Parts: sequence; structure tokens; C-alpha cells
Amino acid sequence: MGFSEFLNSRRDAARGLVAQLRKRFDYVSVLGVDAKAKTVQVNRNTSNISAGRDTECGFVVKLSSGSVFYEYSLDDIAGDTEALAEKIAGAFTLNAALLGNTIDPVTLSDEPLTRSFAREHDLADYSDQQLLDFCKNQCAALLGKSEHLLNAMVSLNILETSKLFISEHRELDQNYSWVNGILVGIYQENDKVVQVFDSANYHLIGKVLEELPTITGKLLHTAHMLTLAKPITPGVYDVITDPSITGLIAHEAFGHGVEMDQFVKDRALAKQYVGKYVASPICNMRDGAASTLSAASYFFDDDGVLAGDTQIIKDGILVTGISDLASAAQLGTAPTGNGRRESSRRKAYSRMTNTFFEPGKDKLSDMIASIDHGYMLFDTNNGMEDPKNWAIQCVAQYGIEIVDGKLTDNYVSPVVMSGYVPDLLQSISMISDDFKVTGAGMCGKGYKEWVRVSDGGPALKVRVKLG
Amino acid sequence: MNTVTELLRADSRVSGYKFNIHKKESFELFFVKGRLETVRSTDTCDREVTVYVDHDGFRGDAQFFIYPSTTAEQLRALIDEAVGKALLIDNQAYELPEKQTGSYTVESNFADYAPGELAGLIAEAVFSANDIPNASLNSVEIFLNRHTETVVNSRGLDKIQVRYDAMVEAIPTYNGEKQSVELYQQYNFSTMDPEAIRAEIADKLAAVKARYEAVTPEQPLDCPVVLNRQELAELFGSIAQDLNYATVYAHANLFRKGQPIQKDPTGDPIGITMKGQISGSVRSARFDSDGLSLGSIRLVEDGQAVNYYGSNRYGQYLGETPTGSLPCLAADPGTAGTPQGAYLEVISMSGLQVDLYNDYIGGEIRLAYYHQGRQVLPVTGISISGCLSQVLNTIRLSSDTAVYRGYQGPAQAILSQMKIF
Repeated sequence: MGFSEFLNSRRDAARGLVAQLRKRFDYVSVLGVDAKAKTVQVNRNTSNISAGRDTECGFVVKLSSGSVFYEYSLDDIAGDTEALAEKIAGAFTLNAALLGNTIDPVTLSDEPLTRSFAREHDLADYSDQQLLDFCKNQCAALLGKSEHLLNAMVSLNILETSKLFISEHRELDQNYSWVNGILVGIYQENDKVVQVFDSANYHLIGKVLEELPTITGKLLHTAHMLTLAKPITPGVYDVITDPSITGLIAHEAFGHGVEMDQFVKDRALAKQYVGKYVASPICNMRDGAASTLSAASYFFDDDGVLAGDTQIIKDGILVTGISDLASAAQLGTAPTGNGRRESSRRKAYSRMTNTFFEPGKDKLSDMIASIDHGYMLFDTNNGMEDPKNWAIQCVAQYGIEIVDGKLTDNYVSPVVMSGYVPDLLQSISMISDDFKVTGAGMCGKGYKEWVRVSDGGPALKVRVKLG
Repeated sequence: MNTVTELLRADSRVSGYKFNIHKKESFELFFVKGRLETVRSTDTCDREVTVYVDHDGFRGDAQFFIYPSTTAEQLRALIDEAVGKALLIDNQAYELPEKQTGSYTVESNFADYAPGELAGLIAEAVFSANDIPNASLNSVEIFLNRHTETVVNSRGLDKIQVRYDAMVEAIPTYNGEKQSVELYQQYNFSTMDPEAIRAEIADKLAAVKARYEAVTPEQPLDCPVVLNRQELAELFGSIAQDLNYATVYAHANLFRKGQPIQKDPTGDPIGITMKGQISGSVRSARFDSDGLSLGSIRLVEDGQAVNYYGSNRYGQYLGETPTGSLPCLAADPGTAGTPQGAYLEVISMSGLQVDLYNDYIGGEIRLAYYHQGRQVLPVTGISISGCLSQVLNTIRLSSDTAVYRGYQGPAQAILSQMKIF
């Protein structure tokens, strides 16, 4: 394990291809990706060790003529470099009408840099047998804890990624891994079936194996309470968000709106709010592959730009957005290291990485005590962005009613949070002093381009519409 | 693949194998505010090998990918590793599909065009749809794909199919004096029909103008809610997923064969058929990833679950006939016409939430039309929620039908007992 031997064997070919294509294009880069994913999964009836869906090996060549960007994705770049360059350059036949109506010319930056990056991991320390045995034992232990469990699923999703980036002036490589451990329970009680899940996510298998067994108790308690859950009465409430829901707000309600390729397209209302208050003055928010160590942490992005740590909101004021190389060039700003692709077969866009609110000064207990009647919301289900109009749809798995400053045993599920983003962010009145970022999720742009992300933060006290 | 076939056949530990080969050629155009920004082309091929090992009365399996650069020596190591993994897996035994061969092309006229030419024609159709002052398409992405899918297994199954699909992601925007608003549109098709493309985009451009004009109702609305094809695809798809063999085998299904989905129906009876192909659907396929031929099966009849459906493996586990992973859903039309009295017609949602476990249906509405006789008021900033079982009991389905991705069925449905807030 370590940096991909395959990609190493293609360095010369990549350099040669860049040199050949530079004769025709202003900018040329080659990104090689060798990602090895493995999923070990056990449930009551079956077990499985499979090549995970993130497994890929391929290249994408990015070119610019100034006024149009071109990309060509392929499996391999070995062989006759001159012929391959010819094939790539000839792959973009277009009619004159299209070529006569392009964006204004821009120059993609290609500052000299040569670096190798690697993050410590322990993938070689665990055999398939050990990982499978762990999942089997955890599954059996979970099933043994409750007769109400119809099924339980334990899975370990392991991803090791190697990337090689070569342009005329840059040569970068990186190797890193990430592990998601997931527990799922299908639970029947009180004439109701519910599905619950929880996860542990680290760059080390050892830490995931250590944490997963500790969360089964909470999982079963939540399942039991969800069988008693009632629908919420729609209305506007004082709400405390757990770190997962805080992350959902950071990501869906606001994060997508500061992806700066949306600025280029005039698709983001946030563009008009740079330098202005968008949130309560106690609110601070960041994004970056280098902001914290989580699922979306890397050393350089898919444009060969080093990972960033971007302060998006400072003291309630929108400072800046996050960008990929092309959108930064079009906006005349510096790229922030947020150019990400679903795979080497897909386009790079401005994408979030690890997105979170920073901790505040309040104690969670004081925040709960400050509410006469409201809810504390837990566990992300899903969310949908609306960067132009700042409408919110964030779905929590469940909420617990707060009455007279105390959490009750009254669960509601599911809970859909909706409203207008600035109203929500400006309603933030308390922020807890603790902090958690979780990274088991995937994020799409619109309904496609899925990438791994993490999000989180402290608990927030907000006022918002629930239904 | 010849070398890997020979190596697998010569390995006595290997009980069976399957190859899934997916060659994808694409041509993509990306426009920013009407101007060409990026052109992409891809030519890639995934070659996945699944190795099956029977041991101790069980069947284990493991997968690996091979690449043009993979050497015979590396192949041997990959097979060794896969056999080792498969030996760890103690799953109930099942048979691979029997010998069957076939070569298919799913209906499409895309092959009549060069990729760049077709993409250009689609772009022309998209941008010609805009005749609304102050409206624009701030972002347009056009994807053309040609998929060549091959499945081969050790029992002699050898099938190949060619499928085409196109997707236009367009962001219609309306720039008015008070604000600028947008909607999201994803339009999938497999037959080039410029008029159909133009009509789809024009509809959404008209809708975005309505979103600009939309208001949040001052008083809570209390009226039936009309959902359109996109939301109905989500609703019926959730029911179908619950009746999938894999869901049933995992004990995760709520509905049971022979039991009602509509427990006390007063609306139109729900009927669902799962199919391999629907005319005009980009999901249409002749066989699934196991190579099973895809026909159709009646899933829900008169509001009652009458069958399950699903893959070769889970079908065998349940003692049912494997139907294959049928990708298309046909829902029976009903008898409903335009609702009488006031009603709320949903045009765009953030995403309809259908939660079978919690008996919930709802979501945030980005644009809806509030109809009161001849008066139509565009509204926004509201949400809907309801009890799913009540909604299913009282649902009224339109007699006219529509296709949306893998869905063919009622173009609209009338939902009563929904809370609008």
C-alpha cells in the first residue's frame, strides 16, 4: 500500500502528453486517479466483501484554448503519445455557431510546484478475515441485544486514493485513505417498523473498529423511541440542532450557495452578499480539505490546487466563497482548492469539502434550558439546496420535544425543516462550545456529481419552520 | 478478456464467474449564461470480474476490476485474492443464470448523428425555447451517452446491449426588478425530438416567470394538493422498492404480498407493473447486470401487493422466480380529471419526501399554482405534509399519462388530507 505503482508507471507518459498537447493548447494538465475501494458487509442473512463503488482507475486531460475548456477522460495514457494527443485534440468537433459563442478568454494559473503527499493509514494492518470477523461479531452482538431487531447490518467502507497531477509547471502526487463504519438496524416494536443507523468515520481502521461497538446502545434506544414517535404538528419552533443537523444547515442551506461556479453563472444569491451580514454576528463558518481531518480531506484538489481552509462567514459576515480553477479564473480570484470530480470521468466543479460552523461559547444544557417549547433535532436524513433563492429543505431523522427547558421522551419523526436561509441563519441566538464533524455522507450538485463530504459543528439554537 | 477466462476455467477452486463490461462513450457541452464554457468527451471501459467459489455448502463471491494494462501475472494474483475473499463468505447457494445469448440495441435515433452534431442540435433546441422577456438559461449542461454493456458468465450466458441516453440540466432564471429567481430542470431522453426538447424547456421558463410572480399565501391554504409526474415517480418508486426481493430478504419491507397497500380505499385503486422497457424511457434495458432478460411483472393490483420482484440471487433466496432488476415502473392511470373547486398544483419541490416507515409524505414547495376557479395564483414559500397511508387510501389518479425517467403513469394525482403550511 502507498502511492499507486500504476500511476507512477505513467508519469513519463503524462509528461509527454502534456508536452505534445501544449503545442496546440494554452493550458494542459493530466490527472490520474487510482482509487481502491473495499466494502465488508454483514447482515443477519448474508455477508460480502466487494470492490466498493468508488473503485476507479483512469485519467482526465484538461485543456484550455483561452475561451473554451476541454476535457477528455480515458482509461490509460500509455503508448504512442503523439497519436494519443492527436486523438484527444480531434475529439471535440463542433459547429461554427457554438465555437463563435464562447465565454470570455481566461488564463488558467499553472504556478510551478513539485510535491508528494501521503497521509498515514493502517490499511495493511487488517486482513479481510479480521474485518469480516469484526462485522460478523458486531452484527451478532447487535442482534443479541434486542429481540425487536428484524435485521442488523454492519459495514466497513474503506477507500484508498492515489492521485497524480501533471501540468507544464506542476507535478503533484498524493495518497490517503478514509474508512466509514456503519451500523443499521431494522427494528419492530409497538406495531411499527423503523430503520436506524449510526456511523464511525476516521482515516484509521483501528479507530473505527474501536468506536463502532460503543454506539450500539444509542442505536437501539433511538430505534425504540422512534417506534413511539408521532408526527410533528407543523409550525414555527425554537429548535436546537445536534452537530449533524448543524452540518446539514451549513452544507445544504448555505454551503452550496457559496460554490463559486454558481457565482459565474449568476446562480447564487450569496454573490451579492459578500461583505454583508448573512447570519447572526455570533456565527462563523468554514470549509476546506485542510480545515479539519475528515472524509473530504486531501492535499490537492482535482485541478492541482493545494487544499484550502476558507473562512466563509466571519462574525456573521459573508467573507468569500469556494472555487475551482476555472471559476476562479473567470471571477479573477484565487482558487481555494475546491475543484472536485465525482471521478476521472466527470467534470470538475466548485464543491464543498469539510463544511462546518465553528464552536461558540454556550453550554448545550443552557441552550436547552432557554426553550419553553421547542425541539432538538437529530441525525441528518437528507437536504436540498436552492442557492439562488435560499429556500431550505433539510430533513432530520427525528426530533425530541423540549418543554419548560427540558428534553422530554416525546419523539417526532421525520422532521422537515423549511424556510428562508437568511431568516434561519440570523435567528441563531446561541452556539454550543462543543464540536463534531461527521463524514459518512455523499453530496450531489443538483441531482448528480456525487462526492464525499463531511459537515458538522456545534449545537445551534435557531427559530425555524418544522413540518 | 480471453486470458482471464482461460485462467478462471483452469482454476479448480473457481466454481463460476461473471464478467460485466461497460463501455461508455460520451460527449458533453457546458454553457454559462448561454455561452459555451466547456466541452468534454469520454471513452472509458469498466471490466469487472466476479468470482464464485462454492465451499462447505455455501457460495462466496468477490469482485475485481481489470484494465488494459493488467498483465497475466497480475491477473493470477487478482484471482488468488478473489478466491481467498470468496472462501470467507458463507452465503446461501444460488445458481447463475443459464446459457442465453443475445445482442440488442435499445430503441433510439441517436446513432443517426455524430456526437458533436447531436449535442449542437440539442443546444440549439434548448436555447431556441426562450421567448420570455427577462428569462434566461444561466446554466445548461448537455450529456450524450452511448453505453455498450456486456454480461458473460461461466454457464454460457453471453449478452450485449447498446443503450443511448441524453440528459439536459437547465437552470431557467427570471430576472425581474425586485429579484432574480431560478428553477432546476433535468430532462432525460433517448430519442432526438427538437420540438419535445423545446417544449420541456419552454414549460420550465414559463414556470420560472411564475416563480418570480409567486407570493407566499397570507392565510394557510386548505385544499387538495395535485402532484405531477416527477413526484408520482418518487411515490410509486418508494412502494416498488419496498416490494423488491432484496428488501424482503433483508426483512426491511413494510408491505407484504397478498396484503393491501391501500387498506381502506376511497380513491382510485393503485396498480403497478415493473418493466424492462418503457417507450421513450432512458432507463429501458433488455437485461440486467446478471444477464437476466427483462420482461414485466404485475406488482400491485387493485391496491394490493400481488408480487415481489428483483434480482437472480435474491429471487432464488426467497424461492421466487427471478424477474431481474426491472428498471422501469408503469402505474395504472385513474379516472380523475381537473379537480373541482380550489386546489394547489405543485410545479416544483425541493424533493418529495416519502417515508414508508414513518407513514409520512411531504416536502418544501418552490412553486405551486393555487387554482380558484378561473383564477390561478402562483405561490411559493410553503410546505406540505400528510399521513402517507391516508393519502394512498384517498389518492385520485389522472386518466392522462406521462413518462418521466423510468416512470410511466398518471400525469397527475389529487391528494386530499394534506396539510399546507
